[in-house]
Amino acid sequence: MHRLMRIPATLCAVAVTAVALSGCGSDSREERQVTVTGSTTILPIAEIAGEEFEEANPDYEVFVSGLGSSAGIESVSSGSSDIGSSSRELKDEELDLGLVDTPIAYDAIAVIVHRDNPVDGLTSDEIRSVFSGEVTNWSELGGPDLEIGVVNRDEASGTREAFSRIVLDGDRFDPAAAILPGTGQVRSVVANSVGAIGYISLGFVTPEVKAVEVDGVAATRANVIGDTYPVRRVLHFFTVGPPVGAAAEYVDYVLSSDVQEGVVSDAGFIPYVVERD
Amino acid sequence: MAGSERDMRDAGPGAPGPREPGSGSGVLRQTARSQYLKESSLRALFLACASVAVMGVALIFLFVGLRGWAIFAKVGVVDFLFGSTWLPTEGEFGIWPLIFGSFAVTIGALLLGAPLAIGTAIFLSEVASPRVRSILRPAVELLAGIPSVIYGFFGLIVLRPIIADMSGGLGFGLVTGWLILAIMIVPTISAISEDALRSLSPGIREASYAMGATKWQTIYKVLVPAAKVGIIDAVILGMGRAIGETMAVLMVIGNAPVVPAGVSEPFSTLTTTIVLDMAYASGDHRTALFGMAIILFLISMVLVALVRSLSRFGKQVG
Repeated sequence: MHRLMRIPATLCAVAVTAVALSGCGSDSREERQVTVTGSTTILPIAEIAGEEFEEANPDYEVFVSGLGSSAGIESVSSGSSDIGSSSRELKDEELDLGLVDTPIAYDAIAVIVHRDNPVDGLTSDEIRSVFSGEVTNWSELGGPDLEIGVVNRDEASGTREAFSRIVLDGDRFDPAAAILPGTGQVRSVVANSVGAIGYISLGFVTPEVKAVEVDGVAATRANVIGDTYPVRRVLHFFTVGPPVGAAAEYVDYVLSSDVQEGVVSDAGFIPYVVERD
Repeated sequence: MAGSERDMRDAGPGAPGPREPGSGSGVLRQTARSQYLKESSLRALFLACASVAVMGVALIFLFVGLRGWAIFAKVGVVDFLFGSTWLPTEGEFGIWPLIFGSFAVTIGALLLGAPLAIGTAIFLSEVASPRVRSILRPAVELLAGIPSVIYGFFGLIVLRPIIADMSGGLGFGLVTGWLILAIMIVPTISAISEDALRSLSPGIREASYAMGATKWQTIYKVLVPAAKVGIIDAVILGMGRAIGETMAVLMVIGNAPVVPAGVSEPFSTLTTTIVLDMAYASGDHRTALFGMAIILFLISMVLVALVRSLSRFGKQVG
């Protein structure tokens, strides 16, 4: 039951509540259930953490569904979910819903180029004009006279969605840019092509490629956490009031160093809670 | 006797029963009935096999048609087929760039792959010694058994950087697609062409040599023209293979939904777009993907019809 839920979480919650209400003398089961609805970006972490949480606490059940950040915020504020996960900040009209924000991770995106590319840094504006197709030669960016090979992701990608939201700012991606399905392919193509530029989650950057500075700030964990690296967003859990009961235990579990350094880092995100020695 | 005769008549011309005069009528009936049962149950079994395949095609066509026809009504046949912008998330459903990509990559692959495959077939059937043939033929057949994702991987890792060095871009595009697909269609075309060549009666070879023709003259003046219907069949089937290929192509063409500005610029085909977009498409976008599947279905129906009419034409001529 805790696996990927394609049916709306509301339905689930209703069904579960109905079972609980008609329950023949069992202890109130809904107190041992956590429903998490929202961002598809957060879905993998919430789900795997949920499975591990259930294994560690066999009494509890975690229902996770990915319907998008807006649906998550809607669902938690209407009471159909315990936790609404969101990869965006609250909009103005959502501010007075009484939601409490628990940041769980950073999603930072590195702009990567070939290691031999002499360009070390780009401004947000330059990156936008490259990916929208206005700038097509590295010489316009202080590099050699070399055609820019733009590598984009497919539209199903959460990274593409985040990159488009943070960097493109309403502009369209150049439709003639190559589209590759998968972080690994983007990285390997950029690593092999002198003129290429692409973007991947910061957590997946390896020495094969060079992550450029954006607006003069290096793409490092420290700069993401310190809020100086611009191409990043915060992943949130929203609850109505501070989390309580089973939801609170689940949130604590997600913030534990096991999950932060395990599932969260493995998914390419930057832990929100970093153990420092 | 009367009973057994009736049984055999019912069994039809396809089920000849043993008729041994002189043997006891009871025994004869026994044999005939069991034979009849066996024959008719086998007939039913094979009919069932054939029906499953036909029903599969019919059901898929029905399913794809039901899910996809609405896009033609919504967007309009002309705007759907010839619209130049594929931006499904913003409601632009023009699949012309994808149709163009499918045909461009297929035709180029045929131009490269068909001569290669026909040459292979001629070599295997006319030139090679039995020993060489016994090594080469399995090797060519092995090409057909390699999963297409391996071809794609090879294209992405090995071919693409070479093309990129020569063209200056990323190496995704028509050239890379042509090379990969050309290799992939060789086994299909060469196997069928070789069959066509080998099924020619040996008499025409001997007649040609008897007239004083050399081996080469025999091949290109006698054998290839005589087997041309079979060879064209082979090329059309290779075309079907190329136009439907998805995974290998997906990895080497760059998947930009545009008519490419050059032979080493990213583009998309119908099949690759269906695969990439299926992951997240909903609503009209999903319907449009099924609409593209209908187009693919129609293309392959036309190809099959071509093969059928060609072989009928070949029978009339031959």
